[in-house]
Amino acid sequence: MIARAAKSGWLFWGALFAATWLLSTYSFQLYKALDARWIVRYPKGWEFPLEDHISAFLDWLVESAGFYFFSFRDLTRAISALIEAPYQILRNLLVEGFTSGVGDAAVQVAPALSWIAVIVTIMAIGHYARDWFLSVLVGACFLYLAVFGQWESAMVTLASVLISVPIGVVGGLFLGILAYRVSWFERMLRPVLDLMQTVPVFAYLVPILILFGFGPVAALVATVIYAMPPMVRVTIIALNSVPTEVIEAGRMAGCRNRQMMWKVLVPSAVPTLMVGVNQVIMLTLNMVIIASMIGAGGLGFDVLSSLRRLDIGGGIEAGLGIVVMAIALDRASQAFSERSARHPLEGNILQRHPWTGTVFLVIASTLVLGRFVPAVQTYPDALTITTGPFWSNTMEWINVNFFDTFEAIKTVILQWLLLPVKKFFAGIPWAWGIIATALIAWRVGGWQIGVLAALLMTFIAASGLWPKAMVTIYLCGVSVLIATLIGIPLGIWAAESPRAGRIILGVMDTLQTLPSFVYLIPVVMLFRVGDFSAMIAVILYALAPAVRYAAHGLKEVPPPLIEAGLMSGCTKRQLLWRIKLPLATPHLFLGLNQTIMLALSMLVITALVGTRDLGQEVYIALTKANAGQGIVAGLSVAFIAIITDRIINALAAGQRERLGV
Amino acid sequence: MTTPVILDCRNVWKLYGAQADTFLNTNSSPSSADLEAANLIGAVRAVNVQIRKGEIFVIMGLSGSGKSTLVRCMSRLVESTAGEIRFEGKDLLSASEEELIQIRRKKMGMVFQQFALLPHLTVLENAAFPLDIQGVDKKTREARAQEVVELVGLKGREGYFPRELSGGQQQRVGIARSLAAEPDIWFLDEPFSALDPLIRREMQDEFLRLQNILHKTIVFITHDFDEAIRLADRIAVMKDGIIEQVATPEDLVLQPATDYVAEFTRHVSRAKVIRAASVMEPIDGDSFAGDVSHDAVIEAIADPVEASDLPHKVLEDGKPVGQISRKAVIDVLVGRR
Amino acid sequence: MKRVSLALSAMLAVAPALAAESSDPIKLTLHDWSGQLITTKLMGEILKEAGYNVEYVQADYIAQFAGLKTGDLHVAMEIWETTGREAMDEAFATGDVVNLGETGLQAIEEWWYPAYMKERCPGLPNWEALKDCAEEFATPETAPFGRYLGGPVTWGGFDEERVEALGLDFEVVHAGTDAALFAELEAAYQRQDPIMLWVYAPHWAPAKYDGEFVEFPPFSPECYADPSVGVNPDAAYDCGKPRGPIWKVSWAGVGDKWPGAKKAIENFNLSNADYGAMVTEVDLNGKSVEDTVAAWMADNKDTWSGWIAK
Ligand SMILES: Nc1ncnc2c1ncn2[C@@H]1O[C@H](COP(=O)(O)OP(=O)(O)OP(=O)(O)O)[C@@H](O)[C@H]1O
Ligand SMILES: [Mg+2]
Repeated sequence: MIARAAKSGWLFWGALFAATWLLSTYSFQLYKALDARWIVRYPKGWEFPLEDHISAFLDWLVESAGFYFFSFRDLTRAISALIEAPYQILRNLLVEGFTSGVGDAAVQVAPALSWIAVIVTIMAIGHYARDWFLSVLVGACFLYLAVFGQWESAMVTLASVLISVPIGVVGGLFLGILAYRVSWFERMLRPVLDLMQTVPVFAYLVPILILFGFGPVAALVATVIYAMPPMVRVTIIALNSVPTEVIEAGRMAGCRNRQMMWKVLVPSAVPTLMVGVNQVIMLTLNMVIIASMIGAGGLGFDVLSSLRRLDIGGGIEAGLGIVVMAIALDRASQAFSERSARHPLEGNILQRHPWTGTVFLVIASTLVLGRFVPAVQTYPDALTITTGPFWSNTMEWINVNFFDTFEAIKTVILQWLLLPVKKFFAGIPWAWGIIATALIAWRVGGWQIGVLAALLMTFIAASGLWPKAMVTIYLCGVSVLIATLIGIPLGIWAAESPRAGRIILGVMDTLQTLPSFVYLIPVVMLFRVGDFSAMIAVILYALAPAVRYAAHGLKEVPPPLIEAGLMSGCTKRQLLWRIKLPLATPHLFLGLNQTIMLALSMLVITALVGTRDLGQEVYIALTKANAGQGIVAGLSVAFIAIITDRIINALAAGQRERLGV
Repeated sequence: MTTPVILDCRNVWKLYGAQADTFLNTNSSPSSADLEAANLIGAVRAVNVQIRKGEIFVIMGLSGSGKSTLVRCMSRLVESTAGEIRFEGKDLLSASEEELIQIRRKKMGMVFQQFALLPHLTVLENAAFPLDIQGVDKKTREARAQEVVELVGLKGREGYFPRELSGGQQQRVGIARSLAAEPDIWFLDEPFSALDPLIRREMQDEFLRLQNILHKTIVFITHDFDEAIRLADRIAVMKDGIIEQVATPEDLVLQPATDYVAEFTRHVSRAKVIRAASVMEPIDGDSFAGDVSHDAVIEAIADPVEASDLPHKVLEDGKPVGQISRKAVIDVLVGRR
Repeated sequence: MKRVSLALSAMLAVAPALAAESSDPIKLTLHDWSGQLITTKLMGEILKEAGYNVEYVQADYIAQFAGLKTGDLHVAMEIWETTGREAMDEAFATGDVVNLGETGLQAIEEWWYPAYMKERCPGLPNWEALKDCAEEFATPETAPFGRYLGGPVTWGGFDEERVEALGLDFEVVHAGTDAALFAELEAAYQRQDPIMLWVYAPHWAPAKYDGEFVEFPPFSPECYADPSVGVNPDAAYDCGKPRGPIWKVSWAGVGDKWPGAKKAIENFNLSNADYGAMVTEVDLNGKSVEDTVAAWMADNKDTWSGWIAK
């Protein structure tokens, strides 16, 4: 029975691949023989002008859509003003200081918080949240920003993070609660979340700029859109996993709906909710670069402008600035979640809140002192250090001495991997592409997913984006393959040896928060503009989930099973191959899924190196301010992501069933 | 019996499955086979029970027999599919949402198998939680919470969080919480199942001690027969959603209504169940070694009765009603009767 | 005391002129290249001197036009003829955006090579030399064709057409951004490797690296439009790229709201030499934009005070 199923499985996949390969290789001959050009090119006449419709719709939305008394744009502008106000206050507090009057008549009422005050405050928060160790860690992170001369930019970034993270968290929480309560809302929200996470940000920047006005607020809105979905998802999961008995306890106590939510469900779910908060922080910092392109300024702008003048060191320093800020905020928020309940201190107000007192004291004294000793107010320029020359020299040294080696490796990989794969995908006739995708999806996940896949792929073809979509799939496919091949062994290593694990996972954290732009430029210097550079950038970015999930999956294998393996005399290697890896497969699938998602989200960035994929289409649309084009291309990326996600989830579910976990 | 019925369940059904709501309209008393054919689970089937004021009513049965579902029907945490439930004479099933909230706030308390404590609240705050929900001011509710916390023997641990307590201590908090609002009826769903045997025993003693002070009406669920006979005034044995028999522990052992109940009670140590009155003989002499109460279980009186050659006198309300001999006790102990 | 009174009198001096003008801040857009930051900050500081309130807003080069149309943004100091023509035409057509004239800077965009390539291809800078030594510019991926690194596709440039029309054995590869473009140049220059790429001026690159623009047949609109014009009678684009001014544009409402400011912006005029010097200061010598602008203003007080004089 099993043998037969396996056989028919091989038959199916074998036949599918053979058909695809044949059609891909001979599509051109087929077209000539049948004189049917539609086989290789989707006919222009069949294209659906969705792009124009979307642009027209957005124009209408922006120019004339309205409710009774106000237009849609008035509404968005009002939201904008609402966000702007607290943002401005934070900026004043952290960067500009408070002034009264405008322009030349402006008089400074109070300066911004001094760097010392900010560092003491953050250290106080660190200690309050956990212990001295955390306090020193976050303090050191912020000190880095001062010492490397990035204080002002960092505070600008901090101001926007302090606005968008709470909005993302609270907004995500409320949407999640609504979805938890109202099941049709959840069903409606799910695809929207999928899109929010997979449509590249560039695709909706233009409409956001128009609706929310030029400036930092538009950047904040874009950031929130990008960073909020995980919070919504985590909220739904967290609320659903509150034990039934706890809910029943609440009902037996006589809770009304609202009491149930705020006194029982949400507090019980806090530890899980904090995972969402952490995600929001990370994604917000991921957006810093893109946000700076449309007016957020700050560290992201420093990265961009450094790299535009090829100041690699400057770019790396500013990029690491973003990394350390991410580390500080992440560790602090995690500590808060674990802390959530701890015993209050005894004593009077000062004894109970020793830190509040200290912080106020420091703020007040630096405020006064800062008037006389400028170094107290602003970190003195003379004491800043820079590693710029070091990086430039290192880069030059590598470039001059190792370029030929790199070039040789690159040529081999191009020749034997990239080009053949590219040819294969580019050759697939669009009609067969749709059918094959649908067949794969059907086989793995049932007819619903099959139909979904067919529809989404047809959308891409009908938008005239088929060739670019194929380049996208090829580039992501190869990158994901290599990332997985490197990532899983690294993950295994990290799981097997705790010391290596700490280092590897640390590097992965850095790679994920370091703006990709920072390593894109050195990559271009060594590998030139082209698919290869794009591939390396994608691999570097998408490696992290492959490593993390592999490590996590191996660590999660139940100890009794390992003991059972040891008792049956497994060698270390057998233990790994026979017990740990098979049991970790669901996690590996999840890692694969995330790797693909990240690879796709990186596409837009690779467009900055110059690839001819959907990312480029999105980018072109952005620079031409063509909202419709951007959204259609963005949706195409999202659809590829959604199809792969569904297929891999189905695979993982099947695997889990087989393992009975 | 003269004690009033406080909770009255008549022909209560709870079905799970696709057409659970409408199925009973077509067939008002389906058999197991009918249910299986319709792909329904009969979690509670045609249950009739009357809970009397002040008694400890134990529902027992194997896992999946529908105990939890039944008790949740009684508190309307689960909506019954059919039947009638009257609480203090009023129809519980037609109570409005608001009435229900008030009933639960003032009259019902519940203890859960997995404790169901709120992780972010301290012991004191957990105990005060129902009062907080009712809007009682902080001082009053903490004073009351302090009382119940002391009652369950957790004085000194008011500031602890649940995760800092052992299982037994956590369940004490659960008990304290369910008592804080001074309920009239107290539901306990396998409160001690998650605890290890030693602690379980200790908690049972604790529970009996509390009941001696409080005299609540109690619906207690367990799948442990020893626990049931230790605590129960009456026991309901459930199987596949049906109540097989409701009786005192002794009657259950001596007169099982069905084979299932008989099988169930076969391994019970009878000395713990059978009372003196059941094995006494008519008085046929006038020299006795001592007196025993007619409702004392054999286990409790075994030692003195066995040790003497003369029989013991069995008293009910101070009047002699029979005598109990060494032989009768030994018969019970070795299972001859 | 003396400083205060000076400031006071200065304020009194400008105040009457400003009475009719709005005290709302004038929003100037900033992009991400230093030259533009310099011109914009220069303009901004000069406007401040004239008593206006000024705000700098970070915005994308093309996307900003949407803001200029609605009045969210007010002034853009550098719209290059070479890259911004389409967007400008579209925006001017709506009547909501107006042209405030040239900045005085002249943009050049063309194929460019480092000086060391002249040894390998002695006929340069004349384009005809490329016919014989395209292979000198080859990489393993393009061989035997030479490799020409063009700008991002969004910049247009018609380089594929040019290569065809002039019969050059080059393959055109597009960089995604100009950062990538110059990263390649930097790397090749360090190794003294062959490279031919799109460079534009004013920019720090032609100042930093020793090299030249290729001399193609000069551009004319007819050459682009009409195949028969130019060296190849059968193809258009058989000539070099257009050169042209860098423009200042603004929201149409600026003239009504701040008439004086509008005049000052129109007067603004900078030479390629001054601009190039400032860009070099910032990009190559690591000075801050603010300091560089302040230094220029100190040295050229007469020039800029003329722009804001009524
Ligand atoms: N929400 C539900 N949906 C479907 N079936 C349910 C649901 N809740 C309970 N059941 C079924 O009803 C039956 C009775 O369940 P119940 O939880 O009342 O058993 P129990 O006697 O409390 O068992 P245990 O001792 O394990 O707690 C079981 O067969 C169970 O599968
Ligand atoms: Mg149960």
